[in-house]
Amino acid sequence: MRITSRKKTIAFAVTLGVLVAAVALVLNISWIVLNWREVVPLILGVIFFGFIIAGVILNTIFLVREVRRNEQQDSFLNAVTHELKTPITSIRLYLETLQQREVGEAQRREFYQVMLEDTHRLMGTVEQVLRAARVVQKNAALNKSEIDMGPLVQDAVELARTRHHLPSDAIAWDLDGKTAERICVAGDREELSAVLSNVLDNAVKYSPKDAHIRVEVITPDLKRVQIKVQDNGIGIPGGELKRVFKRFYRVLTPGSTQVKGSGLGLFIVRAITRRHGGEAYVESEGTGKGTTVTIELPRYQQ
Amino acid sequence: MTRQILIVEDEEHLARGLKFNLEAEGYKTQVAGDGEMALDLLLQKRAEYDLLVLDVMLPGKDGFTVAAELRKANHFIPLLMLTARGHPEDVLKGFEAGADDYLSKPFDLNILLARIRSLLRRREWSRALVTNPPNASRVAESKSADSLREFDVYSFAGKQVDFGTLELSANGRVFRLTLMEAELLRHLISNSGKIVSRKQILEEVWGLHEDTDTRAIDNFIVRLRKYIEGDPSQPQHLLTVRGIGYRFLPKPEGQK
Repeated sequence: MRITSRKKTIAFAVTLGVLVAAVALVLNISWIVLNWREVVPLILGVIFFGFIIAGVILNTIFLVREVRRNEQQDSFLNAVTHELKTPITSIRLYLETLQQREVGEAQRREFYQVMLEDTHRLMGTVEQVLRAARVVQKNAALNKSEIDMGPLVQDAVELARTRHHLPSDAIAWDLDGKTAERICVAGDREELSAVLSNVLDNAVKYSPKDAHIRVEVITPDLKRVQIKVQDNGIGIPGGELKRVFKRFYRVLTPGSTQVKGSGLGLFIVRAITRRHGGEAYVESEGTGKGTTVTIELPRYQQ
Repeated sequence: MTRQILIVEDEEHLARGLKFNLEAEGYKTQVAGDGEMALDLLLQKRAEYDLLVLDVMLPGKDGFTVAAELRKANHFIPLLMLTARGHPEDVLKGFEAGADDYLSKPFDLNILLARIRSLLRRREWSRALVTNPPNASRVAESKSADSLREFDVYSFAGKQVDFGTLELSANGRVFRLTLMEAELLRHLISNSGKIVSRKQILEEVWGLHEDTDTRAIDNFIVRLRKYIEGDPSQPQHLLTVRGIGYRFLPKPEGQK
């Protein structure tokens, strides 16, 4: 219901913009017709009307953008509400159970474990939201140190495996055949881990149950390090490739709406990568053909 | 007899916690991880359950869709909807889809259990009424509309509503009403001839706050009209009072 009313708002704004622009254009033409003999008022008038028309068009564009952004913010709020409420509901349910029922020792331990996992999930969501707010602050300091990307990627892969209960062959990883060599980057360890875990989480989330994910660390030349994460998931339609990095943006295809997400992941990935002087890219052959995310960072030279 | 409950919840932790508690209460439970599986169990395999606990945010078909498809297929299992979305619009959407009760997360364990008990109790009552059909005196007594109690039978213009079994017989057919539909109809019948405003319906019948989108009620009226009106586009009993609400007439106007 809300979405249709948004569409109406957009249609109205566009119609109004076009109408006003058309009126201005008609006035402009009449001005030209009426004043074609006198050069100064003619030129001034044309410039003046040109400004008005440009203003109307710009205004319409911004209005439509604002409406779209509101829509995304709404869906973000819904997603975050769900992500926050679910673990709280679970913790509360288990606490009330422990409070009201006779629970055996083994069962009790299991309940504690469940609640602990829920607090981790809660913390993860809160951190993700806070991180998204932090990465847009220009003056926030990066805690930079020299980081060997090999072990960092390996840790992230292990973490993703355990978190999503994946078999060990679901994520294959390759260090460009140079396991002995250190591939270093000057960066903030915590932030870069967040980048990797976001990319890996996406790869798992948008893949079928038997996910095949390939992680590669490549050094195309002496100055750059690339981390490629390739999955066999639902892919991204060509027209959406640029937008996926926008804050709150989520691709709406039949496969993706089933996946829960806040629309912050890739936004965080690109923002952090850029702050490290790098860039994040995403490639996909299209819907159903998998996605490859590439993180490119400047290599640290001793 | 052990009651069987089907839990449709994709969050594993919640599903496990619910299962544990319901089993501790003496119910038999099964968990379905998504809506498709639940629909398959209920509609294809015709598995017998006494109650359905349904989460809304599910992968694939969401809870609203599952509820609507069940009701469309004439499956009238008591349905308790659980959801993280607590806005009045969402609550109404749930009831519209065919839920019998709605609980928003996070919920209180005891309230959840109480609601489950009450839904099961109602199912038992309606079963008891089917086996011991209401006697004629009960129908006769309930003729006066102002004293319409919960399990009464009300007749008008050759149609009969049984608020105990939630069954409506009209035009030679029997319809099963959802709780929400029955409550709305009862309220309108209790106020026969008087105008009932949309706001009144929201607050007094469904206990919802007045800033809810009142158009949701219209959908219920459309459904009720399909049951009781010969021609739903020319309503004789459920009349719209433009800008205010609705009015129920036991006998069509002009026939008095």
